[in-house]
Amino acid sequence: MRQPLHKLLIVAALVGIAGCRSARRGEPITGPMPISSSTIAQGRLVFQRHCHQCHPGGEGGLGPALNNKPIPLFLVKTQVRLGLGAMPEFHKQRISPEELDQLTAYLRALRTAAQHTEP
Amino acid sequence: MKTDNKGTSNWKTVLFITVSATLLCGCYALRSSDGGGQTTFTPPREVRAEGVALPNGYTIEAVASGLTFPTGAAFDEQNRLHVVESGYSYGEVWTTPRLLRIEPDGAVVVVASGGKNGPWTGVTFHDRDFFVAEGGVLEGGRILRITSSGQVSVIVEGLPSFGDHHTDGPAVSPEGWIYFGQGTASNSGIVGEDNSKFGWLKRRPNFHDIPGEDITLVGHNFKTEDFVHPSSKRKVSTGAFVPFGTPTQPNQVIKGQTKCSGSVLRVRPNGDNLELVAWGFRNPFGLAFSPDGELYVTDNGFDDRGSRPIWGTPDVLWKVEPGAWYGWPDFSGGEPVNAEQFDPPGKPRPNFLLARHPSKPPRPVARFAVHASADGFDFSRSEAFGHIGQAFVALLGDESPATGKTLNPVGFKVVRVNVANGMVEDLAVNRGPRNGPASKMGGGGFERPVAVRFDRDGAALYVVDFGVLLHDRNGAHPQENTGVIWKIRRSAVP
Repeated sequence: MRQPLHKLLIVAALVGIAGCRSARRGEPITGPMPISSSTIAQGRLVFQRHCHQCHPGGEGGLGPALNNKPIPLFLVKTQVRLGLGAMPEFHKQRISPEELDQLTAYLRALRTAAQHTEP
Repeated sequence: MKTDNKGTSNWKTVLFITVSATLLCGCYALRSSDGGGQTTFTPPREVRAEGVALPNGYTIEAVASGLTFPTGAAFDEQNRLHVVESGYSYGEVWTTPRLLRIEPDGAVVVVASGGKNGPWTGVTFHDRDFFVAEGGVLEGGRILRITSSGQVSVIVEGLPSFGDHHTDGPAVSPEGWIYFGQGTASNSGIVGEDNSKFGWLKRRPNFHDIPGEDITLVGHNFKTEDFVHPSSKRKVSTGAFVPFGTPTQPNQVIKGQTKCSGSVLRVRPNGDNLELVAWGFRNPFGLAFSPDGELYVTDNGFDDRGSRPIWGTPDVLWKVEPGAWYGWPDFSGGEPVNAEQFDPPGKPRPNFLLARHPSKPPRPVARFAVHASADGFDFSRSEAFGHIGQAFVALLGDESPATGKTLNPVGFKVVRVNVANGMVEDLAVNRGPRNGPASKMGGGGFERPVAVRFDRDGAALYVVDFGVLLHDRNGAHPQENTGVIWKIRRSAVP
């Protein structure tokens, strides 16, 4: 009994943290995002082409926000390949393995970009 | 052995936690729609420039307020700001469409008024006259020419604007042609219940989409209740490009027309030489010429509504090639709508309606967020504002739940687009922990930016804010006297 309760508490805490951290990004809110490598720059274009329409700037839209979700990037890759719920799958012909690496590099940079601190 | 078990257990715990967190935080099916218009409003509208966030070095101020459904702006030869009020809004609210001059002190001078045939969806100025797109909900779409003294003449009429989308634009080419857009009658080619809810099906039961060239149908029909005669309790079958309740046959040919749905057309300023430029758009609301003379249009994507719902399609920015077909009703942003990604949750996958497609549709220049409603836009031409050659686009914001569910408000901001690589970046957004209109999020900033226009010297960008437009299960509820014109300038080079 202890372990499931323990897990539920962790889940609840993570959800709570996700809800508290702002997903907002973009130059007006958090300033220009530093693009520190060509991999991140390419990942930004991949995101724009495939992800931005449902998760604009990594914020919520048609789909949920990404910027404030404490999900390991290997699971993000899995979700991109397999889809989940309403999210479609993106097979290798749509997002190549190299592009997926670039995408996750960009998502990592986006997640750790300066946090919005306004009330 | 002990270590292995613990490692396996930890791995499972991590997986359990992350999957659970993902599901709890983001499951689309479990969450209800939370669109920007799904809120309440008590007038008067609060207007506070501090509510809008901009990049460093830019400032914003409100230069006019209290307008009713403003939709477009233009500057005359003296660089004086003029604005059109629509005269009609979704929600079946009619007021008087007007061309207004906004004086430097914010005072409003009425230049011209229209009849009950709104919405006036946009305005441009060319060679001493204004050109206005009259949406034409009741009498059909028109392009109007209005002199500075307020004399109105019609240069194009009889456009198919009785449906969901109207006559849009206009924009003037470097050669002096007046280009304008014409939206489609329906969401995806089939007239149905959603059009009844919009209000026009009962007024115009025979209205339907019109192709820009002869097309051959697959012959798909969609069975629904008879929304025109609800008391009859009977079922009717409706095909593509035909009136509600009219079935179609396989290989049936529908004749194309110049004044067609989902098109960009052009005409000389005196009304001569009306020509079809391209078609296959859905709602080409915004038109603008880039500094190098290329025509671009914004196009609103499909909705998850009606007899043939299509899900998850973005609004796009197109570069217009004369003679091209842009994909409606069978493609979204160059992608076929029968792909898995467009499956509406819990509803059938859409099939093609056309047996043969006129051509392979192009790829868009840029994709905007689903339901963002990318509308009026303009190109920067001056270093005084910066980002020369980029398109600045007003995102009106979602109209959920009527157009489909969104988990968060979408749009309600001004973005800029690098047309060379398709990157979309925020320029002006409301402050706060989440994006959304001020009526929902507070702060006194934007409600619904519907158009932008640079002044003649390119130093200031004016944002036309339509005002408060609420949505619920009963439809749209526009709020009169809540429109605002904002002015953005660059105060310092960063």
